[in-house]
Amino acid sequence: MKGSPKTRSQAATAQAREDVIVFAVCGFRFAIAAAAVKEIRGMEGLQAFNLGGINSRIAKLAYTLERAGTTYFVVDAARHFCLAQAQPSRVMILRNSPTAVLVDSTDRIMEISALHALPRVFTHEERGWYRGLAVVNGVVVMPVVNHHAFLNKSELEALRAGLERVRGAVTV
Amino acid sequence: MIAEGDKAYVLFPLGEKRFALPAEAVTELARPDSLQTFPHRTPLLTGVLVRRGRIVPVCDVAQVLVGPAAPPRKFYLIAKCKFDSRHELTAVPVTGECELASAARAPLTGNEPRYIDGLLAMGDERVAIVALDKLISAEAPA
Repeated sequence: MKGSPKTRSQAATAQAREDVIVFAVCGFRFAIAAAAVKEIRGMEGLQAFNLGGINSRIAKLAYTLERAGTTYFVVDAARHFCLAQAQPSRVMILRNSPTAVLVDSTDRIMEISALHALPRVFTHEERGWYRGLAVVNGVVVMPVVNHHAFLNKSELEALRAGLERVRGAVTV
Repeated sequence: MIAEGDKAYVLFPLGEKRFALPAEAVTELARPDSLQTFPHRTPLLTGVLVRRGRIVPVCDVAQVLVGPAAPPRKFYLIAKCKFDSRHELTAVPVTGECELASAARAPLTGNEPRYIDGLLAMGDERVAIVALDKLISAEAPA
């Protein structure tokens, strides 16, 4: 039983180098493209999220954050990844999106040299959660998150509409 | 010795029972490596291994084949598995050493689950041939 030649999908590895930020949620470590993160900050200024029925439809939304005239919708990463209660302490504000992500901690910026495709045997929500897997130091596997999945397009549209409704009600 | 017309199979133990995979699908029997986990929602998958720079998912089929009472798994049987017309490696935790054997197929009884591809007659023992791809897709529909 010798090693087989590389199977096609497992050879599907993007070789581009990329800077990522390592963060932790519930004891798991993840990576996110550094270019996708605009700012990392503490939890000060978070406001409880309350947009009527949208709260129950998008249960992972925890807070909003007002920053430089923009309202950011803050997603609890533990809920997004269906994990147990986390101990968040940091907020990652995403670039080019009104989305921020609540995480337990941020670690460091590092460079990955390859992005391995998620094996096809993974068939559930994780296919949307991750862009792929990175192997760090040849031994540690770290999922690289798909930052667009924290709030998808339809969720963002519903949130924007809800926010406009609330603001309209306030000004009237 | 392999009789003409007989195919070769790798027999693997899960507790008291043995199961088989076609030998051409099996690439390696590996010692327990450090299993690495990350959040996901696909049933049966317990994590991934890094083998020679490649990421190999670990699929604990014992939960389906023998139930929750299976003894601790000691080795990983690494086999090619077909997903969406592509082959990928998958590691199956097994409870002991494996054996390469050949045998004629015995007829199916008709009561086997869809992921049992056939039966091998090994003396008085009937060893089920497992179709890994069918087992995994049956347990983890997308």
